Amino acid sequence: MKRLLLVVLALLGFAAPALAQRELTIVAGGGRLQEHMRATLFRGFTQQTGIPLRDASYDYNVGPIRAMVQANNVTWDVVMVEAPDLIRGCEDGIFERIDWSVVGRDKFLPDGATTCGAGAIGWGVAVFRDLNRNPTGPSNWREFWDVQRFPGRRALRRGARMTMEMALMGDGVVASEVYRVLATPEGQRRAFAALDRIRPHLQFWTGGQQPLELVNAGEVAFAAGYTGRVATAITNGAKLDLNWDTLLFAYDYWAVVRGTPHRAEAMRLVDFITSTGPLRALAELWPINPVTAAVANDATIRERYPLMLSRHQDRGLHIDTEFWLDQGPDLEQRFAAWLNR
Amino acid sequence: MPRTRAALTAWDERGLPPEAAFAALAEESGAALQDRRIGALAQRLNFEQSGLRALLLRTARAQDRLAAPYAESLPALDACWGDPETWRLLRRAGGPTTSLYLLRALDLTRTAEGEVRRVPPDQALFRTLFLRTLWVSLLVTAACVLLGWPVAACIAALRPPWSSITLLLVLVPFWSSVLVRSTAWFALLQREGPVNDLLLFLGAIESPLQLIGTRFAVLLSTVHILLPVAILPMVGVMARLDRRHLHAAASLGAGPWLRFRRVWLPLSLPGVLAGAAMTFLLAVGFYITPALLGGERDQLVAWFIAQYLTREVNWGMAAALSAYLLAMAGAVAALLRALTGNTPAGTRA
Repeated sequence: MKRLLLVVLALLGFAAPALAQRELTIVAGGGRLQEHMRATLFRGFTQQTGIPLRDASYDYNVGPIRAMVQANNVTWDVVMVEAPDLIRGCEDGIFERIDWSVVGRDKFLPDGATTCGAGAIGWGVAVFRDLNRNPTGPSNWREFWDVQRFPGRRALRRGARMTMEMALMGDGVVASEVYRVLATPEGQRRAFAALDRIRPHLQFWTGGQQPLELVNAGEVAFAAGYTGRVATAITNGAKLDLNWDTLLFAYDYWAVVRGTPHRAEAMRLVDFITSTGPLRALAELWPINPVTAAVANDATIRERYPLMLSRHQDRGLHIDTEFWLDQGPDLEQRFAAWLNR
Repeated sequence: MPRTRAALTAWDERGLPPEAAFAALAEESGAALQDRRIGALAQRLNFEQSGLRALLLRTARAQDRLAAPYAESLPALDACWGDPETWRLLRRAGGPTTSLYLLRALDLTRTAEGEVRRVPPDQALFRTLFLRTLWVSLLVTAACVLLGWPVAACIAALRPPWSSITLLLVLVPFWSSVLVRSTAWFALLQREGPVNDLLLFLGAIESPLQLIGTRFAVLLSTVHILLPVAILPMVGVMARLDRRHLHAAASLGAGPWLRFRRVWLPLSLPGVLAGAAMTFLLAVGFYITPALLGGERDQLVAWFIAQYLTREVNWGMAAALSAYLLAMAGAVAALLRALTGNTPAGTRA
């Protein structure tokens, strides 16, 4: 009993100072990308400033961030978030406003700098297929919806966001008109009707690796998948065709959690990890899709990564954050109801 | 926005609210945006009706350009402010409590006039979801009890060391993670997996079956995962049964079937009910397994609770769904308690 007490006390002794002086903490989506970010961006920051930095990963679910701000127990300082979560969190006071006197604002691509977020990476979704199984395939969303001309099962992401846009484009709406049409009740009905039409041929995925598994196993003929993962598979030798004319893309942002005791250091960190030098070093290791203009437009990097999103962005549809903040909850529920029918 | 709320509380919901409400809204929404308190209200309003978030934010951002009389400048900014309906929704959102989430979790909604109605069929989701959760949980419980009963009876009848060895065989899978066991089923059931290969080899099927993404896969794997939970309480009760009752029945001339039906079954019933109760309570909250192995029509309530909690950050909705799920589980537990004659299940052996 006495020994147990000693152990508990010893543990408390270790824990207490750790709580008092928590290190600056940055949180991103994990995986290989984060390993490379740690090697270049995060270590680089510590080397340059002497500020110790710890990194962790999360699953892009912002519920816990909200809880830590409300409970006044902020344990994360800088977080990579998706655009709708960023805007909502900004309005709700979950994220600090970016101090644009510390973080250079001019270095970003358009939409890369917002009130509470500094552009981190771009991501996209586009149609791909296995060239061995399907030498030909749809080259745009209209053809993706044409199950006579291109027979076979198709996989889309389970969720209204992106699927609604795809359905309208599949029904013949041009990209520039998608959000105008989708904002109207008729447009929404039209999207669901388009989904109804090819429902027997559709399958839905949830995790980012699933579309690749589905296509590899021949479970589906065509799938919409994350371009980064498809590009990695192609680089590793997979015989896949990625169709950039079906691209939908958005940015993820670095945001600073409100109420952090490390606000000043966090801003310096955000500036460092979005600046040209460290990002170039990262691009040496990994085909990133930077939102920092100088790196995104860098001729050598573009030359090196033909499958880099920045090279094809002008052919894609930028997912409208504001639209999904307004219509998202309603459309997501109707989509879930539609799936259940 | 205290002043807006006060002005709207005074309003009788007929026609448009007084100028004071317009003025309070115009000023307070701007201030709320500045102080970044507007998000919660905007989300709350948008849940009442899509598009109200955009309306409120547009108004808050335009605050500098708005001038008195606000009863004219607000509708000029957006025609929605000239619609009494908007104000009624705003008034309702200002209240300290709301039944909206509890209603929505049952596919009900409240009209502007305050009457409760079903949501349009293209939005209806949760009733089906609760019924499906109940149905799947009952099926799983029934299967676990039917499959687990003979196993438990065997374990209880065996002598040491065989009883401990068989018990260990039940416990080892019980101790391994749910995620691991679900993923194992994914590997077994996939299109080019062992189950399909075997069936093809045996000539039972001509082309691989689609097993992943079906209700069958969900049921199979859930039953496998929860089987130990059903078996263990049954073993506990059966092992403690006094075998002299059976001998007594035999000496009085009862055949095997009669001994089973009149003596063994009633005596082991508390264990069966305890196992059933535990299986059901766990099955009701399952979500990893359906998410991994089920299709779009196989997701249960728990998955949506997780979705609302962490992804959409709509804690009102998550709380409402959880409350109903808890009530459902509680009702079944109470029912089982009543069946065992008011003694806690499992103690009456």
